[in-house]
This record gives sequence, structure tokens and C-alpha cells, in this order.
Amino acid sequence: MLVTSALISGLALGSMYGLLALGFYVTYAVSSTVNFAQGSSMMLGAVFAYTLAVTFGWPFVPAALAALALCALYGVIVERLAVRPFARRGSSAWLMATVALGIIADNAVLFTFGKEPRGFSLAWAHGSVRVAGINVSYLQMAIPAVGLALAAGLHLFSRKTRYGKAMLAVVQNADAARLMGINVPLAITLAYAASTLFAGAAGIMIAPLFNVHSDMGTLFGLKAFAVAILGGITSAWGVMLAGLIFGLTEALITALLGSTYTQLLSFALVIVALALMPNGLFGRAEVKKV
Amino acid sequence: MKAALLAAAFVAAFLFTMQANSYYVFIMATLALTALVGIGLNVLLGLAGQVSFGHVGFYALGAYTVAILTTKAGWSFWAALPAAALIATLTGALLALPAVRVRGPYLAMVTIAFGFIVEHAAVEARGLTGGQNGIMGIPQPAAFGLAFGERGVALAAIVLAAVATAAYWLLDRSRVGRAMRAVRDSEVAAESIGLSPVRMKTAAFAISALCAGVAGALFAPLSGFVTPSTFAFSQSILFVLVVMIGGATFVAGPLVGAAIVVLLPEALAALAEYRLLFFGALLLVVLWLAPEGVVGTALRLFSRRRPARRAAAEEVAIAPPAPAALLVQGLGISFGGVRAAHDVALEARPGRVTSLIGPNGAGKTTVLNMLSGFYRPDAGRIRLGGRELQGAAAWRIARAGVARTYQTTQLFGSMSVAENISIASGPESLLAFVGYAGDMDARASDLAHVDKRLVEIGRALATRPAVLLLDEPAAGLSAEDKSTLAALLRKIADAGIAVVLVEHDMSVVMGISDQVVVLDAGLRIAAGTPAEVQRDPAVRKAYLGEAHERPAAERRAAAERLLEVGRLAAGYGAEPVLKNVDLDVKRGEVVAVLGANGAGKSTLMRAIAGLHRPVSGGIDFEGRELSSEPAHRVVRQGVALVPEGRQVFPELSVLDNLALGAYSRRAWRREEIEALLARFPRLRERLHQRAGLLSGGEQQMLALARGLMAKPRLLLLDEPSLGLAPQVVNDLFAALERLRADAATILLVDQMAGLALALADRAYVIDGGRIVASGPASDIAAGDALEKAYLAVA
Repeated sequence: MLVTSALISGLALGSMYGLLALGFYVTYAVSSTVNFAQGSSMMLGAVFAYTLAVTFGWPFVPAALAALALCALYGVIVERLAVRPFARRGSSAWLMATVALGIIADNAVLFTFGKEPRGFSLAWAHGSVRVAGINVSYLQMAIPAVGLALAAGLHLFSRKTRYGKAMLAVVQNADAARLMGINVPLAITLAYAASTLFAGAAGIMIAPLFNVHSDMGTLFGLKAFAVAILGGITSAWGVMLAGLIFGLTEALITALLGSTYTQLLSFALVIVALALMPNGLFGRAEVKKV
Repeated sequence: MKAALLAAAFVAAFLFTMQANSYYVFIMATLALTALVGIGLNVLLGLAGQVSFGHVGFYALGAYTVAILTTKAGWSFWAALPAAALIATLTGALLALPAVRVRGPYLAMVTIAFGFIVEHAAVEARGLTGGQNGIMGIPQPAAFGLAFGERGVALAAIVLAAVATAAYWLLDRSRVGRAMRAVRDSEVAAESIGLSPVRMKTAAFAISALCAGVAGALFAPLSGFVTPSTFAFSQSILFVLVVMIGGATFVAGPLVGAAIVVLLPEALAALAEYRLLFFGALLLVVLWLAPEGVVGTALRLFSRRRPARRAAAEEVAIAPPAPAALLVQGLGISFGGVRAAHDVALEARPGRVTSLIGPNGAGKTTVLNMLSGFYRPDAGRIRLGGRELQGAAAWRIARAGVARTYQTTQLFGSMSVAENISIASGPESLLAFVGYAGDMDARASDLAHVDKRLVEIGRALATRPAVLLLDEPAAGLSAEDKSTLAALLRKIADAGIAVVLVEHDMSVVMGISDQVVVLDAGLRIAAGTPAEVQRDPAVRKAYLGEAHERPAAERRAAAERLLEVGRLAAGYGAEPVLKNVDLDVKRGEVVAVLGANGAGKSTLMRAIAGLHRPVSGGIDFEGRELSSEPAHRVVRQGVALVPEGRQVFPELSVLDNLALGAYSRRAWRREEIEALLARFPRLRERLHQRAGLLSGGEQQMLALARGLMAKPRLLLLDEPSLGLAPQVVNDLFAALERLRADAATILLVDQMAGLALALADRAYVIDGGRIVASGPASDIAAGDALEKAYLAVA
């Protein structure tokens, strides 16, 4: 009973970890950079959606779509302000610059949105069905459904469309992609937009489970980065799978040992895993050239 | 002067704290503790170049150790302080175990995880730490029966910060400090002078953990209580901010940074609430505009120019303490099933120059990487004197007496020229010996290309090697500098060092070598004196390819100029690879550009295709100027490059690769694919396979077909025959011959001069970045310009 409900909530959280991790993967694949403050993008998704749906009283779907569009715009800003200026001169300062931008976003929200956590309840999410003897809310079913749908959408986009294949070409060989006529800097900007869009979607989905506040994404984003690394960061299915495994493991540890040990164990696992496999569980080693 | 200023600042802080009210005492204590953590982090972030977003963990360890020992075990603060320092230092060394193995975002993640583990452990271990409520009532230290009070702790913190500043100053100037900076600037080069990056990074982690632990230990009695929430992730970011805003690597950096981070919110009370917002923006601005931080920027703006210091031209002994020959037998290595080198034998004797030559992809640098320990050979022996070296770590091989230089120079860029020599324990007069005449205090990264080469050779000599390995030292040098370099290498050999030279410039190789070993496709195909090697038919074949009969196909007379390149110059950094190249291609013509490796052929192709920017000079295609267009726009104009090494998209299917070839045209029709499959029938069988699974020859056909999908009016081919078996090369050239018959316009670069000349209408010979001969292909084939350019045959 306890385990079944842990599995269900683990699946929900795991798919959200996977979604955020997929966001890390998308930008890393095309540019070898990531938005280290991805948790802020997730928080922005929830805050935008809450503001539009609750404060302005929009219906949920248009509010969510508009929030996602704003998130994508934020991704463009991250790439232009915190990544491109440094990546262009071969500096790795993008890592700190994205952290700085995240701090700015978190605090800007803190002073505009407010310090009080706000509950984001959705009428449709409250209904539930009985599965295997326990109540599963519509939300708990919707979360993994949306997560997997977005992941599948990314997969289909990259395999079936002209632009998707162009993105894959950039991932596999950026110089050759340029020779095909593909605008690589634009592809990187779009990857950042997609990355924050995924994170924003995760934020909107988990907002009803937790509360909406400026700090809601920090820990989640960091854990998702751990997931991305364990997933090998260079393999899309690897990061999604790692997200599900991570979410399920976390939920099981919580159910069996109590929530207090979850963070401790999950972060210890990250260090051990990286010590043993510096390229991630599903990553490939690169030959060092001198 | 600067030291006096710092000392005065510490004395002033001390005197101020002696008489300040309790509010200012607390501020000063916080400032000093923050500075202490910052100084330690500066060792890690500044000297060793390793980022950490988890140093609050060490701070917490120090604080909890003192809190637990003084409240629960009844220890005195003075006994608990060293215990806290020890625990933090050991944990730092322990964290280094995983941390030194990873880099970039992975390293950031390891340190973040560490910080969270400490924070959550403090929450979990309730019996020891009091859980969320923390530990209250931590006694303040006492000495000589007198309670220290907050003021005493603050004064102690200021003294410790002063001591740490002095220690940093000493460390920065010590051998260890310079070794850390060496590892940060170039791990590869650090290993090659016998430094172990793992040891240096571990030391930096331990030192920075020590400082954070001591600061935490003082924090406990200062605040009187500790709770987990004090040690949150955001505090780690603030610590990094202290170093970055103040200026990493600068002695005063963390002090200024701490002052900004601690005092500014206090000074502007209205700002206090928004401090994180402000700090985030400040960090971003610092990263954009002043990556050296406040101190670094100030020093740069106010520093006076010092007079240049030149190396004295003294006698310098470079003869190795123990001359020894390097003996290599049966050396081999494979990458992913591809044999990069196989059964290579070599003997480099003291006082001799032994050169390793061969066409592109022959495996020369691979052999050098095995000799210097960067690759672990699959087979074979490497012996120096009586020692077996195969498979040893690079820094151990360096210590055994094998020094090397790199294709792209690997100097310690942030260090001065003199420091680059002294870090390898050599005398400054080595600089005069290698012919460096510039300022010894100049930053190595600011040097001209030729000076970088010379200093790098000087640094290699500083380790007093028995063997000196050089990887293309003449690349990018002017003719005059090349002859100076050749004389230097001869002088080094004459001093009793065994010199092993990998070099494309044949006039350098043939001029100074005692022995030449020729590699082709990973195999040793010839060895002997320069004259013997130049005469060897196998060598001529490897370099020039076999001469081919010209097909009987009718040559069309072309008139209209399609491409006109005028006064084109391009390069990487200081020395241009292409100097003033003039060349034209007429519609319907096949034009070959020939020349040895490193002559600038590929750079020419990349410049025309837009991959190499900026270039100077003109690239006129059908009346449009392409020289400032990026690659993705050049292909839309009708110029497609089939790049060197094929570069198909390995994870995509053959069909997808072809479709991407038409990306610049937006839409393509199925018939176009069919037409190409008729031209390259092998691709049809593999249409839905991943391109990475194709053989090298099939990949080359695919790359060619992909280029044709762009419907180019000019096709650029860069080294299409590279790395292909002879029969496959013949098939490829047959396909090119059919393209020519279909009136395609092609500009071709290939090392296989014989085949290229059989295909081409006209040819250019390029040497040292200049066109040295041009004319109808038959004239070039008959003339001697080629042999001269390829093998330096006089």
C-alpha cells in the first residue's frame, strides 16, 4: 500500500526530474553548456501560470500556454546574456553567469510575487480514481502523462521534422551542420528556449502538489541536474530514464526510511556515481587529444 | 607597498574592533570570517582553477565540531579548534577524491552535493547535532581565566584572516603555488614537466577546506548557536561571489570581496533586503566587464609599466645529467577498432635528431602521445636507458627524462615567461639560449607565436631531459624563424640530448635530421638518412601517390570565371597560415590545389566555405563577395564544401544525411535522391542505415552525395582520399571523373597529387601559405615544384 502510493508519486516526480534533465540535455547537446539555474526556470513557469490563472483569472489552458511562451522567452534571455558572451570567448564563466541570473530571477520574483508561498489548486486536478486499492488523483496521472508526452514530442520533433533533424545535425557535428546551411547560433538559442520551456512545464505541473514561491525550484533544479549527469547528459533517453529511476528511488527511500533521509542518500549517490563513472551512467568517454 | 597597505588595513580593523560597539564588533567578525573562507577558496578557485559551490559544508563542519565538542564533550575551545581544522582538512582531501576526476558542471555538481549532504546530515543526526533546532549555548572561548567575549572572537578572526592572507601570499610565490597555477593553465603541460595535477588539486581542496573549517569553528562561539539553516546552499554561492567580485588569484581579492558582500548591505540599510538581487546583478556585471574582479581591474588600471627585463646571455648547461637513448619496439594502439599505430620501432640516440614524418593521419602525434604517456599503448616497449616507460603516467615519464612540446603551444598562459621556466626548475638564461629576446616578465599568453614556441622549448629544456620530443615546432613560423629554429634544434642535439622531431616542413626535417622514420597509416614504411628517405619509392608513393595516366576525356575550354580569390590571408592567432593567395576557378573546370601537410590547403577551403572567419582579401563568387559571409550563408550562394574527414552525421540515416544536404534549398524532390543513388549505387543498399556504420569509402561517397544535394555551382573537396584504401580511392576518383564529365565545377585539395593531377584541368601548388606554382595540370605533373614542396628535394 505504502509502496504502491510511493511508486505512483515517484513516477510523477521522476517524470518531472526527467523533464528538467531533458532541458539540460537539449542545451548541452548543441552547445556543451547548460543553464545551471534551471530551477529558476521551473519556478518562473509556476509563477507565470499562477499569476495569469489566479491573479488575472484566465482559464487554465491559455494561462499555461502563455506561461510556457514566457518561459521560452526567458530561455532566450539566459542564452543571450549569460551563456553566449562567455561561450564565444571560450570561457567557462557561463556556469557562474547562469547561477547569477538564477539568483536575479529568484529574487525578482521574491519582491514582486511575494514571500508567502501560495497554493495553486486546480479544480480538475482534484478528482481521483481508485487504482490497485488506492486513490490516485487526476493530477498524479496527468503529471507523468505530460512529462512523457513532452519527451515523446521532443523525440518526434527531432526524428520527423526538418528542423528537428537540423538540430540533431548540430549535435553530431556543428561544423558540418554549418556547411549544410544550418544557422548554428540560432539553433543554440532555440535549444535554450526549449530547455526553459520544459522546465516551465514541470513547474506548472508540480505547482498544485507543492506551493508556488520564489525558492521552489532551487533544490528540484539541482537534483534534476544530478539526474542529467547520471543519465549521461549526452543521451536523451538516458536522462529521461534516469529521471524516472531517481524519482522512484527517492519516493521509495521516503516511504521506507522517512523523508529525512531522502536528500542525504540521493546526494551521496550522486557523488559516488560520479566518482565511479566520471562520464555518467549512460555517457561515453572522450579521447583526450593533445 | 601593497603589503604595507594590506598590513595597515588589518591593523586598522584590529584597532577599530578593540573599541567598537557590539554591533560593529559582530560586523567585523563576520567580515573577517567571510574573508578567511574567501582566502581559502581563492587557493582553490584562483590558483588551482577549480570551482566549488559547496564550501559552506566545510564551514558547517568546523562550526558543528566546535559546538559539539564544547557543549557535549566539555572540551575547551582551544582544543576543539584544531580538531575542527583537522576534520575539515581531511574531509576536503576526501572530497578531492571524486572531485579531481571530474570538471566543469560535473565538478560543480559534486561540490553542491557535498554541501547538501553536510546540511542534511546536520538535520538528521539529531542526537549529535540537535536536528533542526541546532545546538544552543556554545561557550565563548576563555584564556588566562578571562572570557573572550564577542570582541575577543572578532579580534582572533581578524588575526587569523591576516595570517591566512600572509600564508596565501607565501603560497602564491612558492613552488607549490606556482605548480597549482600551472595545473590550472594547462594540465597537459603541467604533467609534461613532472607535476601531478591530482596532487595539486587535492592540496588546493584541503587548504581551502582548512580555511573554511577554521572560520566555521570561530563562527560557533561568535553566534553562540548553530542551526542547519545557517549553512544553506546560497551561503556557498556567496562565498564564491566573495572571490569572484574581489578578484580571483589576487591576494587582496577575497578581502575586498568580503568587504563588499558583508559591508554593502549594512551600509545601505534599504538595500539589505535586496542584497541577493544586487549580488546576482553584480556578479553578472563583473563576469561581463571585469573577469579579474575589483582588485584585478584596479591593478590593471593603476599599474605602471615596468621596464622590460631581458634574459642574460650566460653559458647554460643543458646537457642531460644522464644521457640515454630512447628505444621503441613494436609500439601499437587502436581507437575504437581503428589501428592508429602498429608495430612502430624507433631509436633516438643522444646527440642525434631523429625525425618522424608521414602524410596526414599517419599516426605521428599518436606515437608522440604514447612516448610521453598521454596515451597508454596497447602493445610494445618504450625504454629509456634501462627503464621501461610504456604505460606510465605522463608526469612520471617527464620525471624520467622525457620532455615534450605541443602542436598548439601549451604554455602556462597566466604566468610570466620567467615563471614558465622557473616552474620547471630551469635558469632564466635558458631563454637567451633558445633565442627569446623579449621581456621576461611578459604574460606568456600575450607572446607572439614564435616566442611561444621558443619559450615552450626552453621550458622543456628546463627539466634537464635526456629526450626532447617536439610536435610540429615549425608550424606557423616564417621562413627566417624556421631556420633559426632548425639551428636551435641542432644545437640542442649537439649538447647530448636525443631530439625526436615530428614536423611537416621538409626543409627543416631534411636539413637537421640524422635519421628519418617515415610512417604511413600507422605503419613504419621506411627509415634512414634524409637522402635515403627522399629517394625511397615507398615514401614518394605515400606522399605523392602514384602518377596516373590522364583519362582521354576531352578538356573543355572554359572562359567565365566562377570563383576569384584575391590576396586572401587567414590564420590562427599571430602568424597567418595563408598569405596573399590568388586563385581562380572557371565554370566547368576542375582545379586542384596541391601541397604538403600544413601548407594551408585546408585553411583555404575553410576560408572559401565560410568556416574560417575572419579572413582578409576577397572571395568573389559570381560577382558576390563571400569573405565576410558565415558558412551557413555561403552554401546558400551555391558553394558546397565536402569537408576533410568526411564528417557525415553518424547517428542519422544515409537518407537523412542526404536530405540535410538540401537544407539550404528548403525543399528537395525524391527524384534528386534517386539520381544520386544511381550515381553512388552502394548508398542505395544502405539508405536506411546509420551513416556511422558505413565504411570509410562509403562515408566519403555519402559526403560527396550530400554536398551535391545542395545543387552547388561550385563543389569544394577537401582531402577526399584521406585514409582510404587504394582501391576505394580509385572508385572515388572514378566517381569524380564522371562528375567532371557532367560539367561540374570542382576545386579539389588532395595529398594524392598523382590522382588529383589526372583529374584536374589546372593546378596550383601551395607552400608555406603561398601559391608557388600554377598552370595546366600536365605542366605541374611534369615540373619539379611538387617534389620540392612535398619532400624538400633540392
